[in-house]
Amino acid sequence: MDIFLQQLLNALSLGGTYALLALGLAVVFSIIGLINFAHGELMTVTGYAICFALIWGLPFPLAVIAGLSVAMVAAFLMERVAFRPVRGASGTTLLLTSFAVSAILRVLFQNLISARPIPVSIPASLSGVLTVGPLHLGMIQLISIIVTLVMLLGLNLFLHRTMAGRAMRAAAEDFAVLRLMGLRANSVVATAFVISGLLAGVAGLLWVAQRGSVDPLMGALPVLKAFIAAIIGGLGSLSGAVAGGFLLGFIEVILQAYLPESLLPYRDAFAILVVIAVLLFRPQGLLARKTLVKL
Amino acid sequence: MPRIGMQAIKGTITLALPLIALAICAELFFPAAFARLATLYLIYVTAVVGMQIYSGNSGIISFGHAGFMALGAYGSSLLTIQPAIISTSLPNLPGWLAAIAGGQPLFVGMAGALLVVAIVAALFGLPLARLGGAAASIATLGFLVIVHVTLVASTDITRGSQTFFGVPRGVSAFPALIVAVTAVALARTYRGTRGGLSLRAAREDEIAALACGVNVVRQRFVAWVLSGLVSASAGVLLAHFLGAFSPKDFYFNLTFLLMSMLILGGISTVSGAVGGTALIVIMVDLLRRLEGGAEVFGLQLPEVFGLTDIGVGLVILAVMYRLRDGLFGLREVDERLFPEPVVRANAPRQTPVSDDALISIEGVGRRFSGLVALEDVSFIVRPGVVTGLIGPNGAGKSTLINAISGVVPPSSGRVLLNGTDTALVPVNAVPTLGLGRTFQNIRLFRNLTVLENVTVAADAVARPGEDSRAAAMAALAMVGMQDDASRPANSLPYGAQRRLEIARALALRPSFLLLDEPAAGMNPAETDALIGVLRQIRADHQIGLLVVEHDLKLIMRLCDHIVVLNKGQMIAEGTPDEIRANPAVIEAYIGKRRAAA
Repeated sequence: MDIFLQQLLNALSLGGTYALLALGLAVVFSIIGLINFAHGELMTVTGYAICFALIWGLPFPLAVIAGLSVAMVAAFLMERVAFRPVRGASGTTLLLTSFAVSAILRVLFQNLISARPIPVSIPASLSGVLTVGPLHLGMIQLISIIVTLVMLLGLNLFLHRTMAGRAMRAAAEDFAVLRLMGLRANSVVATAFVISGLLAGVAGLLWVAQRGSVDPLMGALPVLKAFIAAIIGGLGSLSGAVAGGFLLGFIEVILQAYLPESLLPYRDAFAILVVIAVLLFRPQGLLARKTLVKL
Repeated sequence: MPRIGMQAIKGTITLALPLIALAICAELFFPAAFARLATLYLIYVTAVVGMQIYSGNSGIISFGHAGFMALGAYGSSLLTIQPAIISTSLPNLPGWLAAIAGGQPLFVGMAGALLVVAIVAALFGLPLARLGGAAASIATLGFLVIVHVTLVASTDITRGSQTFFGVPRGVSAFPALIVAVTAVALARTYRGTRGGLSLRAAREDEIAALACGVNVVRQRFVAWVLSGLVSASAGVLLAHFLGAFSPKDFYFNLTFLLMSMLILGGISTVSGAVGGTALIVIMVDLLRRLEGGAEVFGLQLPEVFGLTDIGVGLVILAVMYRLRDGLFGLREVDERLFPEPVVRANAPRQTPVSDDALISIEGVGRRFSGLVALEDVSFIVRPGVVTGLIGPNGAGKSTLINAISGVVPPSSGRVLLNGTDTALVPVNAVPTLGLGRTFQNIRLFRNLTVLENVTVAADAVARPGEDSRAAAMAALAMVGMQDDASRPANSLPYGAQRRLEIARALALRPSFLLLDEPAAGMNPAETDALIGVLRQIRADHQIGLLVVEHDLKLIMRLCDHIVVLNKGQMIAEGTPDEIRANPAVIEAYIGKRRAAA
């Protein structure tokens, strides 16, 4: 039973990170139809920002704030510089543009910073283990779960209680009509990117805290998983992205726990196969686009 | 079918000649380094043309084709590896594999690899074919990851992430040329076949393609498997060209490279794939020299890691920002250089619609979670009769149309089209049962020519041996558009676009035509022309017309029989004069007070 609980926590913390990333992708996709391949680079940027802030001597909380701010600014700039020229183009055009942006950013990281991983000194208090009865809970995992929940709640409040949030939900329904209502398209799109940057930043923070280092390709794998999660949930559906993220986290943790040793190296292949098999039965994803933005 | 013949042969020859010239020059007149580059180019051409078969025709960007190349490379290498090396490099090879591994000739390696790829592609194609757009792209990305993870994890067979070596190197420019020309011929032929054309139609507008009888899922599946096989054969060549490789050689960097080649030339054409590949191969070769920190004009450049990636990335961005359709655009080179001769219209012996053809709407109702959109509607549409369907906004007209065309099955009652319940057959089977339709918001295959638009529909009902392009021409003639056949559909004026939609529906040789607001947005002259066309259709072929329209004047002029819906209920049915006098209709349209007064 306690092993099961342990796995459950693992699944929640891993799935939570995927959920944050998938949500960031879905926020942007639901509004301008872009699948942002460079989302992972926002994670990486956050990692580097935290790393250099710590090296510079900032206390950890300030470094975190610096990291998240850099992620948001980077997302804002990304939209302004790279994606605005192709706004309104087909999904394919947007996809390829972001693919190229992602590749260019990676090479820049490799050349301007370092191709090797840089260690990040995470405070010892974060890497401890909390023992409750028979359970050994990693502090990081607990924090991941809590942070994920706070982020989801916060975003939900933002989308439902604020003017900007309502505008974004409206934009996800019908962007053209929103513009007719006199709202500025640019500011709605910019808000979406800043939010997706914040979500990527938080995910990046959690990722760095677990691994203790940053490298140029850090964001690649988790964002790949987030793409899959977003599709399973139903592209463009925010609640679907969250559901897909957690589902993928659960599948991975279960496979990790119960696959025979000889098959463990195949875990990622199995996980993706399982989720793609879901598409045989639900080609539109679990929560298709019609049930929009009900978090 | 003659139409596959001529244009595809012209296209293949146009593209093959420069490739042949290149291979001959490379082998006979140029130094070995250039010959290697030419061979590599021909291998890339094969891979990119393979991608084009799927991505170009379906419009879905694929990240998975480097995975096919990997499967081809490893499959063929296992069969052909030098037997002496197996015991040292692959000591734990499973028994069944050890029995066949090693020492086979290249063509056996190729055949074995393609067999494996065909099976893998078919299995993955089943879920993939049901996806469209960005979701399908991400699924192909999943495919790439699955292949990569599996290759790295299967250390007994592939040496994992270590280098696989000892593969016989026998690929020079000529063998690569043979495979590349075959690939070009396949891709160029596929583009013009019924499958390729209908997939391109679905790329432009999936809903309209379904309404033309296209089985979109099946066509995507076929294209995926075919393109996987072509790209895999490029993987086989690459393996025997390099002699040693590892899984990372077939991962994101290769994907990125192939993608830039495809979109620089233009994803829609085989010509684009061949041309774009040439430019990127030259660019990458130049950048590689700079990458190591070369000396230019006595200036020592610093080493830049990944300069080729930046170059490739910038090329993709430039194409996306400046010329989305790529350097070669939407038409093949041969289509520009040697335009097709005019197709002669050949009216198929269209027997007039028989008298027992019938659309019978029986007690149809539809609820959307509590909301009653339609309740117990029954009427009959007969051949040779123009039936009008009118009603204020929200009356349930669209719901009824969707129920008749099988898109949204009714929650109660049924629609029988010539005896078949339309809810029980796939959506794309309804058109071929005898129901053509047009759309409220025009849905044409915008980047296809006028003739191609109509041919998609003609193909769906063509009898074996029949030339569906001639039949399509005949349908165009019925609406007076035979002279516009080679124009792109999106260049037509508005009224002509409406008429093209009707011609496309007529090419299905329907017993019934469903026209959803055919006169919307037309000026009076265009409306008069439309009425003429519709009357002619009815007179010549006894086709039954079901016209949904807001324009009451048009309905009264055109229709023999009118059905009126209001708030989901059928409130009246009769001749135009009866409807004009019906108090319930007047009330629904004008309101109670005025009606009473």
